[in-house]
Amino acid sequence: MPLADALSFLPGLATAAAEPAEDAAALRRLAEWCSRYSPWTAPDGTDGVRIEITGSAHLWGGERALAADLTARLDRRHIATRIAIADTLGAAWATARFAAGKSPVILPPGDCRNALAPLPVEALRLDPATTQGLRRVGLKRVGDLSAMPRDALTSRFGEMVARRLDQTQGDSPEPLSPLGEAPTRRVRLSFAEPIADPADLLRATERLVEDLVPRLARERIGARRLDLAFHRVDGRVERIRLGTARPSREPRHLVALFKERLDTVDPGLGIEDVILAAFAVEPLHPEQIEFADGAQGERTGGIAPLLDRLCNRLGLAAVSRLEPRESHIPERASVRVSPSPTQPCGLGPPSPAMRERVPSAARRVRVPQGGEGLVRRGSAKPPRPIRLFEPPEPVEAFWLLPDDPPFRFTWRRRRHRVTRADGPERIADEWWRPEGSGAGNAVRDYYRVEDEEGRRFWLFRAGFHGADRPPCWFVHGVFS
Amino acid sequence: MTERGHLPELRERIRRIERPTAAIHGVLPFGIAAIDRALPGGGLARGALHEILGMGGDEEDGALAAAFAAGILGRLMATGNGMVLWSLPRPDLYGSALAAHGLDPAHIVLVRASRDPEILWAMEEGLRAPGIAAVVGEVGTLAAVASRRLQLAAERSCITAFLLRRWRDGGQAARERNLPNAAVTRWRIAALPSQPLRGEPGVGHPRWRVELLRCRGGEPACWEVEVADATGHVSLAAALADRSAAPVSTEKFRRTG
Repeated sequence: MPLADALSFLPGLATAAAEPAEDAAALRRLAEWCSRYSPWTAPDGTDGVRIEITGSAHLWGGERALAADLTARLDRRHIATRIAIADTLGAAWATARFAAGKSPVILPPGDCRNALAPLPVEALRLDPATTQGLRRVGLKRVGDLSAMPRDALTSRFGEMVARRLDQTQGDSPEPLSPLGEAPTRRVRLSFAEPIADPADLLRATERLVEDLVPRLARERIGARRLDLAFHRVDGRVERIRLGTARPSREPRHLVALFKERLDTVDPGLGIEDVILAAFAVEPLHPEQIEFADGAQGERTGGIAPLLDRLCNRLGLAAVSRLEPRESHIPERASVRVSPSPTQPCGLGPPSPAMRERVPSAARRVRVPQGGEGLVRRGSAKPPRPIRLFEPPEPVEAFWLLPDDPPFRFTWRRRRHRVTRADGPERIADEWWRPEGSGAGNAVRDYYRVEDEEGRRFWLFRAGFHGADRPPCWFVHGVFS
Repeated sequence: MTERGHLPELRERIRRIERPTAAIHGVLPFGIAAIDRALPGGGLARGALHEILGMGGDEEDGALAAAFAAGILGRLMATGNGMVLWSLPRPDLYGSALAAHGLDPAHIVLVRASRDPEILWAMEEGLRAPGIAAVVGEVGTLAAVASRRLQLAAERSCITAFLLRRWRDGGQAARERNLPNAAVTRWRIAALPSQPLRGEPGVGHPRWRVELLRCRGGEPACWEVEVADATGHVSLAAALADRSAAPVSTEKFRRTG
């Protein structure tokens, strides 16, 4: 019915613009909140939430108690609901929407067929065209369909009718795809009175970790990813997700990781449930852990616990190691890689960077301020700056002859007069790399220059003399 | 208890307070008599906080401070196990130059954090962790309380900590440079024109002026040194200091807090 018609019938009609996106988001939040009852929850269409309570109803004292708890909590938030519990997803869907009787409707196990028979065919989750077709030939109830031969139904209305019928009656499976990933292990803590104090949150976290750790220990696994969900009174869920560098079930370590992030949790008006879930788990044998001595417990992982703490607070990309690579391009010769906790720490054999360390100027050339020209070639590696700027910073430079270093340059609004210089050291691009070819400064001539104060810079000239554009100068690094 | 009974106890407490940090965890000698003489215990105190400043335009880049620290760290790593945790605001530390100063880049865990409080937090975490031999942090602003926390954490864990001061510009450097903090020593490194090699042109051996501005239990001093880089083992060579600017007398040994 168009809005104008409706208003003509009832002028005082209250109206609001439809906001499907907002509604969907709210439904999703509700589904997420429902994860206090089971890890498998998902929004269902535009007006429902599915919860798989197999195996979790007993935690609430049975299905009826669970439904009562759910109803009470939703009533408190002024959400009108109809709740149905049935053997299959389809049956629960149909019962919630079409069955007579007061919510919650709980179908006894194995009773799907009889209970659904009197319901209209709309209860089968079919598209409107199919339901209309069924009604036109006089098939109005689900029970009417059950009696029909399957071949006739399928040839007339498509295979969807038969499939929905089977799913609803439990003859073919219909798995629920949950909102999030289903956790491997899960522990829950509920509060009669909502908590909001940071100290209480920490205590709750400690309790949950203490609950979870023995379960992991029993199965000889350690968690790689953990999710701590705080269910607020107003239905929002605040989460702390964290990962560990290696599987862990060390309570002190896990609590320390969560503690670091607890201040990001906004308790709002209070938190009524806290759920800790372990996702990725890996085998972790008891001998790798020392439970006996708390102070020694962290020592086993070497620096892994430290890396975890740093990564969880600053981000994975923030923590890295320097690794030498075979490249003559300065910025590619030393790359940052993410640290691996399995690598032994301390004194191993020296890395390649240490073995080939023979710094000495490779070539020397004339400097404008005097001194005779001299070029000396050596096989030793030329020195490299201790700070390398990425990207190189442009400078305004003055030079005399094409191959000369500048005699003066201005960098960061400061003028430097060059008193000594080494170079050039020509570094060409790695033409065999696809991304390197055709760059503007593909060939660079590097100079090590010293200003009158004794500061030493690594300058390079990009571009050639005689090209259509004059060469530019950059500072690429600072020497010690 | 009589007043006489209190006295020895008080004396003992004062002695404990005055005890230079060097006496707690031992020292790392520079191997150069002139410098080691100036430091209580004959070397750089382990398990303590040391502050290193750059100078003369190096306040922003901290290249000299990093190189000076790398040399010390290289010698520190040679005597023990563990990793170096190096937290810095910009990832501009270059591996092969660290190797040239004696510090194997494979022994470094780099932590990049944009804000000073995060860098200080990372340092403190490192000072409490096993498997760490030394921590380095490049910070601009430093509250006295934060430095005190670091110093206490270093003392407790026997992990040596280095604060490299890196300022945005000269203005910030001027404001921050002289503020007191709890570091056991404060060093300032300045570049000097390099010493030409046998009259050849070009950049010679790099030289530094190393100033010990503050030292708990010692006296300020200043040396001109040449960075030895030909030998693998990087240290400060005092050969030049004997000829040029004479080192400040460091014979007197003052015991102060």
